[in-house]
Amino acid sequence: MNNDAFLPQIARIDAVRDETPDTKTFSLRFREPDEARAFRFLPGQFIELSVFGYGEAPFCLASSPTRSGMFETTIRRTGKLTDALHRLECGEEVGIRGPFGNGFDMEGARGKDLLFVAGGIGLPPLRSLIWNVLDERAGFRNVTILYSARTPADLVYKDELDEWARTSGVEFHMTVDRGAPGWSGNVGMVPVLFTKTALRPESTIAYVCGPPIMIKFVVQDLFMRGFREESVISTLERMMQCGIGKCNHCAIGHRYVCRDGPVFNFRQIRELVE
Amino acid sequence: MQPLVLTIAKRDIAQWVGALLESGKVIAPVRGPCGEAAFCRIESPEEPLWEFENPLAPPKQFLLPQTDPIVAIRRNGGVTTVAPIYDDAPRILLNVRPCDVRGIAFLTRMHEMEPADASYLRRRANFTLIALACHVPCRLGFCVCSDSGPFLSGGYDVQLTDLGERYLAETGSEKGEAAIGHASGLFRPASEEEVAQRQRLETVARGRFGDQTCHFASAMRRISTRRVDDALWEQMGDWCLECGGCNFICPTCYCFSVKDRGGDGRWTRCRMWDSCQYGAFTLEASGHNPRAQRGERMKRRFFHKVSAQYYVRDGATGCVGCGRCIKVCLGGTDMPAVVAAIRRRAWHEQ
Amino acid sequence: MVSTATTCPFCACGCGFFLLAKNGEAAGVAPGESHPVSAGKLCARGWCAHEAPSWGSRLLRPMIRRNRRLEPVPWNEALDHVAGRLRELIAAGKPVGVLGSARATNEENYLAGRLARAGLRTNHVDFCYHSQCRPLLAGIEDVTGGSTRPIALRDIESCDAVVLVEGDLAKTHPRAAASVLKARTRGARLIAIGCARTQMARVASRFLQVAPGSEGEAINALLAAALRAAGEEKQAARCAGYDALRGDLQAVSATDEIREAAEWIAAAERAAFLIGPSAGCGDASRKTAAVIATLAAVTGHLGGPGSGLLPLLGRSNARGACDVGLAPDRLPGYEPIEDGEARRRVESVWGKALPSGAGLDADRMIENVSGLVVLADDPAAVLSAGQRARAAIERIEFLVALDAFVTPVVEAAHAVLPVASFAETEGTVTNMEARIQRVRPAGPLPGDAVEGWRALAELSARLGAGGTWNSAADVFHEIERAAPRYGGTAARIFDGGWGSALTEMPEAVRFNVQAAATQELTTAERPFVLAWDGAFDWGGDPLVSFSPTLSRDSQSERKLFPNGFVEMSGDDADALGVRAGWQVKLGSARGEAIVPIRRRDGLRRGTLLAPYAFRDCLAGVLADEGITAVQVERA
Repeated sequence: MNNDAFLPQIARIDAVRDETPDTKTFSLRFREPDEARAFRFLPGQFIELSVFGYGEAPFCLASSPTRSGMFETTIRRTGKLTDALHRLECGEEVGIRGPFGNGFDMEGARGKDLLFVAGGIGLPPLRSLIWNVLDERAGFRNVTILYSARTPADLVYKDELDEWARTSGVEFHMTVDRGAPGWSGNVGMVPVLFTKTALRPESTIAYVCGPPIMIKFVVQDLFMRGFREESVISTLERMMQCGIGKCNHCAIGHRYVCRDGPVFNFRQIRELVE
Repeated sequence: MQPLVLTIAKRDIAQWVGALLESGKVIAPVRGPCGEAAFCRIESPEEPLWEFENPLAPPKQFLLPQTDPIVAIRRNGGVTTVAPIYDDAPRILLNVRPCDVRGIAFLTRMHEMEPADASYLRRRANFTLIALACHVPCRLGFCVCSDSGPFLSGGYDVQLTDLGERYLAETGSEKGEAAIGHASGLFRPASEEEVAQRQRLETVARGRFGDQTCHFASAMRRISTRRVDDALWEQMGDWCLECGGCNFICPTCYCFSVKDRGGDGRWTRCRMWDSCQYGAFTLEASGHNPRAQRGERMKRRFFHKVSAQYYVRDGATGCVGCGRCIKVCLGGTDMPAVVAAIRRRAWHEQ
Repeated sequence: MVSTATTCPFCACGCGFFLLAKNGEAAGVAPGESHPVSAGKLCARGWCAHEAPSWGSRLLRPMIRRNRRLEPVPWNEALDHVAGRLRELIAAGKPVGVLGSARATNEENYLAGRLARAGLRTNHVDFCYHSQCRPLLAGIEDVTGGSTRPIALRDIESCDAVVLVEGDLAKTHPRAAASVLKARTRGARLIAIGCARTQMARVASRFLQVAPGSEGEAINALLAAALRAAGEEKQAARCAGYDALRGDLQAVSATDEIREAAEWIAAAERAAFLIGPSAGCGDASRKTAAVIATLAAVTGHLGGPGSGLLPLLGRSNARGACDVGLAPDRLPGYEPIEDGEARRRVESVWGKALPSGAGLDADRMIENVSGLVVLADDPAAVLSAGQRARAAIERIEFLVALDAFVTPVVEAAHAVLPVASFAETEGTVTNMEARIQRVRPAGPLPGDAVEGWRALAELSARLGAGGTWNSAADVFHEIERAAPRYGGTAARIFDGGWGSALTEMPEAVRFNVQAAATQELTTAERPFVLAWDGAFDWGGDPLVSFSPTLSRDSQSERKLFPNGFVEMSGDDADALGVRAGWQVKLGSARGEAIVPIRRRDGLRRGTLLAPYAFRDCLAGVLADEGITAVQVERA
């Protein structure tokens, strides 16, 4: 028995991109080519990333699995480990375990209208799914992306937002809570965007990711507009250590966010009891 | 495989322990420097205790140490290597009580769940468990309520029963037979009367559990269906001083965190015991804490220990009835006290 | 796995446990059922005590600062350098001083004090935590006239009444809280006095909610009711000032609630009085301690078996540090420096004439000395001066740090001497019950570190105050002679088991009773009371900050609130229209500050509590006194 669940694989940082003053996107590639080839994941899954000497923490995969060879993760600086990670440069090594978690149900989404609602740093898990969907565009019906951030400076993937705005076959709107010089777009919380798009509650799966307070308001709004709990989907965040359902940090009742989630629909979320 | 049922004279027992010492590291309860019994690696056959109150610290620490190195990390010239750390030393756990054998079985089942935990399982695979049945229940134990004692019906490699002049030895595995095989000349097959005596001792022991009981069934019903008032959890939470002792001495608790230790390109990734009763156990980087209140954390602990949901998953309650939490709990929110409070829907009278 | 019976290094409850070591490193903790204090129970800190020694940044080599950098040097060179520089300063007429520590052993602290007085010829000797615990001890002495035996933690369990003046006992002293809970389950009445509905207040029979600094008023009321209760005259003969006390309290009225609580205390066969550093520092807690001691005295619960007072000390060896004479005006035995008999005794043990006149305390020392030896402490983390203390330390001409861990004071030092942590040293500590207990090494010394007593002995020898100690036990035997209350304890300390002995302390027989002077702090203009939370800030202590498990809460708080915060009751927050995390502007007679708030359920309205860790953020409105009236508005 050697295949140790706690043994990380080594990946190198290929590229680092500044998203906001405290958020960076890291492109990573496994050092060993056969490990790179064997690494398969679903949008919505996450990895345990080690910064050696500081430990490891879970981060969602932010790139599409359809783009192979490398993967990306977008990380905000919030503590010792992420501080250390932000100091790393291209070519430096980190540890990766995973992918973990259930991921989004791609098959269940085929043939449906898709509505993505993201707030601030909640976009990365949806970005993986969005690019996966766009790379297989024919399999889905209307695709609508609504994105909000506190200020224009807090928007992540700025180049890609422009690209989505230009892409035909994607309806894209964004807004900021507070405007800034040079910002000519929408101002207001994300529900203001609901009035700009035709919602089709019967045929749509809505994916909602962002700060807890934003999720709360968006989801209430969606339910009021006729969405069913089963077709509103989010990812949960919890303190995690192992990623494999053993350490118990992320347990809610007898469910484990790391294994049974992190992707849940709101019917499942309602049934999760502490 | 037909289990062997043998006996060994008490005067020969040290000789057998001597033979065990030659086959691996032997861990047994010994009398410590401050007078209490503690599990400890022994060096000589005379050290193990044969009559003792079960040590306060369970033998868990030898299978799942409080600080458990799991990955060695080296960085040299920018290139990192990682290697799992395994401990494959053969060990014999002698005079382990039935509750602790059941605790180890619980931990093993948990670590076997996919993805399996090689670090624990390899260590476990090299352990031989020689249990000593409790023909006299201990003062605070209630193993009879969770089917974990006072005698075992399985899960041991060898189970010893004190028959007075001799010990009865039942084997439960090939490892057990091997443990006896190190000094097979000292053992002889048990007589029918000796086997009958063991049965009588077990029956008598089962009848000797007095007031110290723990009625899990109704508590499990209420916990599983969330019918314990939050107000009761909150009230009991006021008596919890958040020490984590209940977790650390519990034979079935295994929650952990993972941290790196070291520096200058040489680190050891360690698994460390953690406690679900600590506020920081669920504290997120944002400062949000889904279980910020003591009562919520206590509810979590007892859900994990005695809910039907976990019973179904684990095949057992997360309590082996050893009674250790009664001794370590600073505020008296131990398993029997909380189970009783849930049954009568009230905490202390005052 | 090696198992070593030792004493917990955190608070002054003095629990015992087995420290487990693997490959020479502390790796775990096992509880000890037979321990006289803890009896198999430990708090979170105790359970994680192995972490800091093995996970912390440890000092491994002696170092001297050269060209602004600390460079490793051999021990002899470091010691010669330290002794030489201190001698130079003394020769130049510059003041030098020594700070021991409530985290160090009795042997280390004793030698630190001896080094100062016999070697450096100065009474500039103290320990930083003294500034927090001294008022409590002094308040009790005001009533008892000298040291008096505290009630033992396990005796609290059989009391019928417990009076608790607390900050948050469940957090600061879980072992003591456990004793109170145990008494409660046995039916004891618990009277909790404080500004916040804490865990203990929630389980109390009666909770008297008062503003910080106004504890004395509630206790006055209890006193007045107790004096009026039947049979109170029994204690009059033992209490000097009894009539004056009656007179002072004539006008104090008591509600039914207070009267009933006073009756519980008066009727109790045994009663315990626990005093924490609940409000600010200095005079306020001294007065609170004095009046609670008075309450204990007039109700007949002082000086008898199974009853008594317990000052709740924050750090493990605060009492021991006092006992071995780490005070600018006290000698070993905690006796006044002017006491002729005590002077002669210490002089004969040391073979040296003692310097006369009280020295500087820790606060003044860091501001005024040119040379300072700091043992196992970071003054800026402990003293109320906070960052001002940091700045003062950095101005010191020659700073010597002896520590096991890399702390901020080490980073500022000119010479660093690496010593053992509690996990590698032999010695004793004295808990708040005045029980001397063993600290034993669980593993080898890391790097070139030596035991603290040895480093101090070497330094003493170089400064003309050497001794003939070959072990920590030798030092202890000398303490027995220098501090009489430690005399005769060695046989029990070194018996091979836990090694625990209560010190010989006199039972007080006569008391100087006194009511608390009360004064209204708030005004119409400044209607809020702002006070420091009196709890010791463990987040600033290496035993916690280097522990991965224990540091999580305090690190999270420090990260989320880089500019500090004050706690406010939900009702006050709602009235002001501020939510959690929003800023308020505080204005006191001293000045203004803007800080975010956190809501705290059960905090008394009109009270703002600031964690001691964030005192620097409030230095503009509130400084060393730790309590002030403020006006509050939304910022």
